[in-house]
Amino acid sequence: MPAFTEEKPALRHLSSIDGGLVLSVLLLSAIGLATVHSASSEMAVDYLPRQALWFGIGAALLVAAMSIDYHVLLDLSIVLYGAGLVLLVLVLVAGAAHGGAAHWARIGGWQFQPSEFAKLATVLVLARYLSGLNRRVLELTQILVAVAIVAVPMVLVLVEPDLGSSMMFAPILIGMLLVAGVRLRVLVLAALAAVVLAAGMWSFGMKTYQRQRVLTFLSPETDPLGAGYQVRQSKIAVGSGEMTGKGYMQGTQSQLRFLPVRHTDFILSVLAEEWGFLGVLTVLGLYALYVASAARIAMRARDRAGILLVTGLLSVLCFHVLYNSAMVVGFVPITGIPLPFLSYGGSFTLVNFVGTGTMLGVDLRRYVNR
Amino acid sequence: MQVVREHRDDLIGRVRLLAAAVTGLLVLIASGFWFVQIAQGDYYRELAENNRLRKLPIIAPRGLIFDRRGRLLVENLPSYNLMVDRSRTTDVERSLAFAATVLARPLGDLEDLMERYRGVPVYKPVLLAENLSLAEVARFGVEALEYPEFEVEVQQTRLYRHREQTAHVIGYIGEATPDEIERSAGAVSPGDVAGKKGVEKRYDAVLRGKDGSRVVVVDSRGELLREYGRVPSAPGRDLTLSLDLELQQEAASWLDGPDKVGAIIVMDPRNGELLALVSSPSFNSNLFTHRLQENDWQALLDAPNNPLQNRAMQNAYSPGSTFKIVMATAGLSEHLIDERFRLSCAGSTVIYNHSFRCWRKEGHGSVNVVEALERSCDVFFYHLGQRLGIERIARYARLFGLGALTGIDIPGEKEGLVPDAAWSLKARHQPWYAGETISVAIGQGPMLLTPLQMAAMTAMVANGGYRVTPHLVQNLPYPPPQKVSLDPQALALVRKGLWAVVNEPGGTAYTAARVPGLDIAGKTGSVQVIAQKVRTKAETLPFKYRDHGWFTSFAPESDPRLVVSVFVEHGGSGHNAAPIAKALYQKYLSIEASHAGVY
Repeated sequence: MPAFTEEKPALRHLSSIDGGLVLSVLLLSAIGLATVHSASSEMAVDYLPRQALWFGIGAALLVAAMSIDYHVLLDLSIVLYGAGLVLLVLVLVAGAAHGGAAHWARIGGWQFQPSEFAKLATVLVLARYLSGLNRRVLELTQILVAVAIVAVPMVLVLVEPDLGSSMMFAPILIGMLLVAGVRLRVLVLAALAAVVLAAGMWSFGMKTYQRQRVLTFLSPETDPLGAGYQVRQSKIAVGSGEMTGKGYMQGTQSQLRFLPVRHTDFILSVLAEEWGFLGVLTVLGLYALYVASAARIAMRARDRAGILLVTGLLSVLCFHVLYNSAMVVGFVPITGIPLPFLSYGGSFTLVNFVGTGTMLGVDLRRYVNR
Repeated sequence: MQVVREHRDDLIGRVRLLAAAVTGLLVLIASGFWFVQIAQGDYYRELAENNRLRKLPIIAPRGLIFDRRGRLLVENLPSYNLMVDRSRTTDVERSLAFAATVLARPLGDLEDLMERYRGVPVYKPVLLAENLSLAEVARFGVEALEYPEFEVEVQQTRLYRHREQTAHVIGYIGEATPDEIERSAGAVSPGDVAGKKGVEKRYDAVLRGKDGSRVVVVDSRGELLREYGRVPSAPGRDLTLSLDLELQQEAASWLDGPDKVGAIIVMDPRNGELLALVSSPSFNSNLFTHRLQENDWQALLDAPNNPLQNRAMQNAYSPGSTFKIVMATAGLSEHLIDERFRLSCAGSTVIYNHSFRCWRKEGHGSVNVVEALERSCDVFFYHLGQRLGIERIARYARLFGLGALTGIDIPGEKEGLVPDAAWSLKARHQPWYAGETISVAIGQGPMLLTPLQMAAMTAMVANGGYRVTPHLVQNLPYPPPQKVSLDPQALALVRKGLWAVVNEPGGTAYTAARVPGLDIAGKTGSVQVIAQKVRTKAETLPFKYRDHGWFTSFAPESDPRLVVSVFVEHGGSGHNAAPIAKALYQKYLSIEASHAGVY
């Protein structure tokens, strides 16, 4: 081992912080603030100040997450995971008491989504479990344990009911298992199982409105006022932006209120309309930079745990980016999956910053022996 | 320190693969954007420019408001607004010139108005004129081909049929503020109206319907081609008030005119239903139904005596001699006095080395509690106050509901003030002076109550000690009349005294309020505005120095069905408030006669 392993850990290596990751987050956040302002200019409230506040808190949490040794987080992961499950159950019970869906927990006047917190805790537990299995490929029982770890919070979120948020747990499992190592035949089996599961979901697990959304996706004209209307308006907004866009705050589709939830799920439509294809390319390019930087961090991490932890965090974020951007151009059915660093949202913004901070923390400790 | 050989290299390879896959998908999605924005860009730009699909609101009519006999108080009328879409004209000057001719308004006015919309995006239609006549609407319709930039917007406007007479009760509506929109949790959208005051505000959620919407296909001119889908609206619910329009109008007429400042409340003491509630000066609620109204608003803010303030519940005043109702009940309940107890009034008395005068210089002679109420003898109550002490007085005042909100179902009520030693230390940072108790005993100290609290207090005397919640909307679950621990025998004696005030020749309201055939019981009160060494006749004093006058009453004495409380600012004394109550009782009798037994 090199000599500097004896040195004190952590932040003396600040100069070696990953510039690509930090730069992409900073630029995406700035673009997000400007677009949220434009998207909410015709709404009752300008969401810019609130989103700026979330970014401020997020930045502080990022530094905090970066400062904590991720091994400490992994040691705590079971406690955090347990706490996450308890919160999910509490929300479920409170929701049942109010006779309807409740994805929000309220702590002293502050609302947040426990499913966001549970996502982070699940990544930690899974990273800890898989990093302990020091082998080239996983055995079936090990894979099943991993599936169980993810399935418990996923099902709890699904019955809230919040289909969109529960889908977020799938990429955690897929990304981390793939990296941890699975045999080809297991992959084939899993794909088959997914088809069966999807069919089962369609028949028993989905609400009428969710089925309606899928049907609408397949033929948008059937539901002009609901999801079909949204896809159509989103595509009109995106398409009419053409190469260079209509200009900041000048998007007629966005400003004339054709677009629904344009400050959250459809923020990219607003951007595409006002900044055109070039604006979209810039944003997608920044996400590519983020992905490349995070992958680089994973690849140079000190241990299996670091690699898997970064992989899990990155998988969630990638899924958000891919699904949301594909939804906006009408590739996939509409569901409430926001775009990291661009969409307005409290818990969601914080989780993205904490995740990024954790990645940076893994990176800073790449030379450090525990 | 342990070093484990880990299978890292395999993992690293797979991470690289994963990142490559994600990047590949990003490229795929980017090509999707390329397809929509570049390859099909022309198509979508045309769609966006034509705005082929428009989502139009279907405005839900707001609920109507009726009085207790089903007479319409508030209705909705269609009103036409002229909107201009500046992106549809190349020559705004020409458009404005045309509009000015049709509307017969100076071109400069419209230009000034247009100047204010400088910051609004040009494709957003802006409001140019309100309340168009049907002839004007037709003119813009006929010229639509020549001037496509003008659009006539139909709106439901509130018409408050009785304007100033019901303004403080019903309130008004206006464009919802961002704050109201946020608090409504989705029920109110920008551009919607919301109740701002009175019943309109308190029952906004009931009166407001749920707007529907329809998606229509329009051509590039904005002409409707066909309907694409529709969500119907749900109209707001109508409200029936306990108000009796005839009584309300009679009451309003008594406080109508310059220098008529005050409040009148008519209430059913059995359940708290308000039959009339008037505050003067008032305002025309219809002024608020339009958006361009800055001058009118400023005029109201500048008007003397603040017409926007509901004096019946938002102003608190000294109770004056009406407070002797509380004093007598307290003395009797505490067994400090009984019906036989007598005290001699010589026109003044000395307590704590200070001389306190009775309003009647020559004195009242020997009086018991009934006579002391009848003639409003101050000396009797000075001594009773001394024996009760401020804490017991405050306790009974609170039992009568003073110092607390009555719970009336219109927003903005004030709670008044019941002073005691603790209050004095907290609010004034000085101890309570025993001498102040003597002033409070005749309702002159720091004690404050609203006319509405006065009516609620009077109702408790009338109904034998039940607290009722004054309210305007019927058939809602109000707290049921609540028994308060007041001695029923004490209240019976007080009622006897109040009956004497109106019906015995020596009573202070004998000439002013007696109605043959109806056993009215009541109490007068005056509130000094300035300290007077020598009593002068009210008429000789400048208006603003004249005393305020109270008269609070109920009838019939044996089975009370009506409480009438009148407060007249600078009315001189209670003698000037009493005739108003008398007129209202007479009105009530005539209404009752014409609707035999419907009350």
